[in-house]
This record gives sequence, structure tokens and C-alpha cells, in this order.
Amino acid sequence: MKKLIMFHGRECPHCHVMMPLVDKLENEEGIKIDKKEVWHNEKNADLMRSYRGIIEPKCGGQLRTPTFMNTETNDIVCGELEYGKLKEWATR
Amino acid sequence: MKKYWRCHVCNDIHYGIKPPEICPTCSFKDAYVEISSTEAKKIQSLETEMDKEKFRKAIGEFAERNEFQVNPDRDKVNMLIDGVFSCDENHGMKYCPCRLIAKDFEEDLKLVCPCNFLIHETYKDKEDGECWCGLFVRRKK
Repeated sequence: MKKLIMFHGRECPHCHVMMPLVDKLENEEGIKIDKKEVWHNEKNADLMRSYRGIIEPKCGGQLRTPTFMNTETNDIVCGELEYGKLKEWATR
Repeated sequence: MKKYWRCHVCNDIHYGIKPPEICPTCSFKDAYVEISSTEAKKIQSLETEMDKEKFRKAIGEFAERNEFQVNPDRDKVNMLIDGVFSCDENHGMKYCPCRLIAKDFEEDLKLVCPCNFLIHETYKDKEDGECWCGLFVRRKK
């Protein structure tokens, strides 16, 4: 089953920009994006690190936040995105 | 391989493959001798603490000497400095709050703020380039 995750950081400005768009997407499309804070939650950080080999090649060779990941398809986008791009990732 | 070096005149510490020819602190020539990391740590433990305002001043002075500047968006900078200090408190180094450490100390040194963002695709060859987190932005011409 498709599972969508947003890895984010509490003090990451890009994440703060994206959060309202994620909320809007959830409300408009009726989908759930699991938001996982990684700098203050070690369990979430370990989860993100466990996907290192998949995330890094698509995010400039690093574990950048925010990272949006579909754990079924390993479809990944990261950084600040326009709403349309975020929706495209979440619904494809 | 990088080593620690101590100026025998003023105890300036250098970490690098070779020591500076002229000590940047006391200006003595050929003044450095190789020391152990334990000795270096002891000397460096005498250093003063770096609080948020000192850090803000330090990165400002660092940027002044370069082609970039600290982001004029003060709210963003405040959030990032809070993040950098959270990382320092929780993880022992001033890591970038917008990238997660891999738990590989050598590798993670690349994430200590300020990082070498000049080589990153978010900055290099970009007129409006910035480091990944946006703390530093290219200065407008």
C-alpha cells in the first residue's frame, strides 16, 4: 500500500514553507502524508537514514529536508516545491 | 592526513596537512610543532563559548570577506540559528538544520555550519544562489 512520508526539521525554513501546502493537499485530496521530524526525534532520524541509499542520489547526495518519499515506489522529491509539483508527486 | 600543530610561541592551534609558514596570531615564522589530538583538545578547551549572538556576528564577518552575505530575512536567520544551536546541544556540533547527519563523523563534518556550500548546485553558477538552508545568499552585484 502506498505510504507517503514527509521528513522535516523543526528549524528548517523550507519545511515551514511546505507544511501549509502539505496540509492543503491532505485536505483537498483526502490523502495522508506522514510527517516525521528528524532533528529532534531519533527514531524518525534513523528511519530517514535507513533510506539513505534511496534518498541521497535524488537529493544532491545528502539527507536534505524536506524530503517527500513514497515508500512503495521510492518516488522522492525534496526541497521547496510548488503546490502542483507536490500534488503530482503525491497522486502519481 | 591532517594533524594538529601548535605554535610554540603563542599556542595557536592549526589542524591541517601542514602548518602555516607564518603564525596568523603572533606572526612568527616556522613556529609550529606537531602535537597530539589530546594536547590540542586541552588547549582548545580554554576557548570561550559561542552563543547565538557571537555566532551571528561570526558568520556576518565571515560573509563580509566573501562574495555572499547572510540572508537579509532576519526571521529565517533566527530560525536557522536556533536550529544550528539545537544541533550543537543535541548532537554535539553545529550541523545544518536542513540536512540530517549520517552518523559518520568524518562525513558529517561536511554539514557543520557554515558548510562548503560554494560547490553545491543550489549556489554554484547561480545568480541568486544560496546555501541549501538559505542562511547564506550570493551578494547582489
